[in-house]
Amino acid sequence: MIEDPYFGKYISCVSARSTDREILKKAQDGGIATTLMVFALEEGMIDGTIVAGEGDRPWEPEPIVAMTREDILKGRGTKYSISPQISWLKEATRSFGLDKVGVTGVCCQIQAVRKAQLYPINMRDVPGKVAFTVGLFCMENFPYKSLQSIVEDHAAQSLGSVKRMDITKGKFWVYTERGDVATLPLKATHKYEQPGCHVCLDYVSNLADISTGSVGSPDGWSTVFIRTKKGNEIWSKAVAAGMFETKPIEEVKPGLDLLRKIAKEKIDKNQKTIEERKTFGVNKALRNPYA
Amino acid sequence: MTKVIEISPATRLEGHSKLTLKVNDEGIVERGDWLSITPVRGIEKLAIGKTMEQVPKIASRVCGICPITHTLAGTEAMEASIGCEIPKDAKLLRVILHAANRVHSNALHNILILPDFYIPGTEKKFNLFAKEQPARSVMARIARIREIGQTIGSIAGGEAIHPSNPRIGGMYHNVSPRAKQKMADLAKEGLVLVHEHMEFMLDVIRNMQNREFVEVAGKQIPIPKTLGYHNQGVMATSSMYGSSSLDENPTWDVSRWKETRPWDWYMGELTVDLEDPNYPVGGTTKVGTKVNPQMEACTGVPTYDGQPVEVGPRARLSTFKNFDEKGTFAQHIARQMEYPGCFYTILKCLDDLNTSGKVLADHIPQGDGSMGWAANEAPRGTNIHLARVKDGKVLWFEMLVPTTWNFPTCSRALTGAPWQIAEMVVRAYDPCVSCATHMIVVNEEDRVVAQKLMQW
Repeated sequence: MIEDPYFGKYISCVSARSTDREILKKAQDGGIATTLMVFALEEGMIDGTIVAGEGDRPWEPEPIVAMTREDILKGRGTKYSISPQISWLKEATRSFGLDKVGVTGVCCQIQAVRKAQLYPINMRDVPGKVAFTVGLFCMENFPYKSLQSIVEDHAAQSLGSVKRMDITKGKFWVYTERGDVATLPLKATHKYEQPGCHVCLDYVSNLADISTGSVGSPDGWSTVFIRTKKGNEIWSKAVAAGMFETKPIEEVKPGLDLLRKIAKEKIDKNQKTIEERKTFGVNKALRNPYA
Repeated sequence: MTKVIEISPATRLEGHSKLTLKVNDEGIVERGDWLSITPVRGIEKLAIGKTMEQVPKIASRVCGICPITHTLAGTEAMEASIGCEIPKDAKLLRVILHAANRVHSNALHNILILPDFYIPGTEKKFNLFAKEQPARSVMARIARIREIGQTIGSIAGGEAIHPSNPRIGGMYHNVSPRAKQKMADLAKEGLVLVHEHMEFMLDVIRNMQNREFVEVAGKQIPIPKTLGYHNQGVMATSSMYGSSSLDENPTWDVSRWKETRPWDWYMGELTVDLEDPNYPVGGTTKVGTKVNPQMEACTGVPTYDGQPVEVGPRARLSTFKNFDEKGTFAQHIARQMEYPGCFYTILKCLDDLNTSGKVLADHIPQGDGSMGWAANEAPRGTNIHLARVKDGKVLWFEMLVPTTWNFPTCSRALTGAPWQIAEMVVRAYDPCVSCATHMIVVNEEDRVVAQKLMQW
């Protein structure tokens, strides 16, 4: 067990890529989250999972309870907007009839799942039914209106024709079906972030069973932290079944150093915001969510 | 000479109630009053001016044992008032939820009554906390039956205690095919268990019925053959689910119902002049205590055709299935006989349920203020909610809950029983007192006893 101030506790860390062509076709990077959930479903370790599917408007995510491979594949690719995954957690154990629920989500959502398991207020019978959680690396998130402004106004592309979005190398990238590539500096997007993200002290989903994200690995690959016993069991079985190609994280570029740098950047910056909130207003303070 | 004895509070039933009894020299009850002394909830008053979506949710908070029936009756009363027909699949989900609730509630009631009964073939009463058999296997079976009931309820209703899924116009969600199968699997398992459990309970009850005496506080108390008999009628709207004013042939008639005050039905001021410090638990009320049932009772007294009536399993069975026994033991037997029916109903509904069918009405009217009622056959009897909804807001709301009907009826049924087993008579009604409190003493000096909380 390794303990790191920025990465949390984890058993091991690798760089990996899915071997499933169909998943990789639309995956953001290595297709780790999708492949893991499909594998866990097919092996009977979960009955279903909550993923960010497609909403009514283009690139608007909508959480769905996926109980087939087909449905899980709807969650491929990053959608840079808010998907309230946990809103389905209780219902998944109710009208969907699941006994072993998988959850994919960003850092704060995994925190919410763990909190619900510890203090199951309004979550009767739910704690024991969370079987597997996959957390994603997350810097910040945008409300749907923000995403519309960023893509339609700043990048000057129609959301309907966008085929992929990415945040990498200090820029926000928009790729369209017709081959256009628009970029804008991340600085321009900062004011659109949701304010809650500025007090979050978690970058790599410290509380998930397995957490994954692109930073630290080469293009098309993902960095994977295997954290818990359950995560390790599922990961070992998946690798043994040939679901993933893996490389030791020490051997890939840019590696954990970049990841640590970015994680430190987020956490230090947000720590500062939390400090500032202590003296906000006259003789008042804003709440510290970690206190 | 007639003496007055009081058992307060009555134990092993839901809520806070007491028995004030006039007994003769042999200890036989000549006139008994069983009354609720639970603080008034005031739900009817809270409901006024709220939206019709809110009120059934508030109404269900009146109690934690049958919140499902309050949600369903409340929701359907609103639907009856606004004239909203719900889709077939939504109705099926509601019936499943309702039947699941009855299973778990009846099993819970078994835990409350079994300590009154003897283990067949022995001179020992049940102690469900004992380490040895049969207590352990009986408790394990009851726990599993309740778990099954609650799990089915939480799938169909969103939550086993205060269901979130029912709403005005139907249900929020249909269930997935997997959830439907899970409910069917659980019902199949439950069906075997309840058959076994019903046989066991019937043995225990018949064994008790054939006994000459029962031991209470070290004394042998004779059991009269007519224990719990009364001459009031019975009232039931359906053998399983209920009825509403939207039905083609409603099985309840609002014009035959009259609400009266406890003032007219209960005894006036009395002084306790008999006590038994050995009576479980902690003895009866001390001699010299002043009691006043008329003033203390906080239930309304609903009458049907001018008389209090009995509601509950025996009423359902005698109305719809020609069950012809009377009294305390008949009520117990009727309750056990309802077990399998619940699971057969669930399985039948699951067969008919289309998991991709719609569960919400296309059009939900907002109401014009006309009166609608819905009756729901709760585990312990007919639960009727009445409402007037105008423009989506509730103008008037009233709950006629099962135990409210049973209070005056049960008081009559106490006559002729030895006072030591009066509580057994009460328990046979599976009372749930907390939702049966609807009156409040407004002004004691002017004797305004029972100002109605609700307004027309």
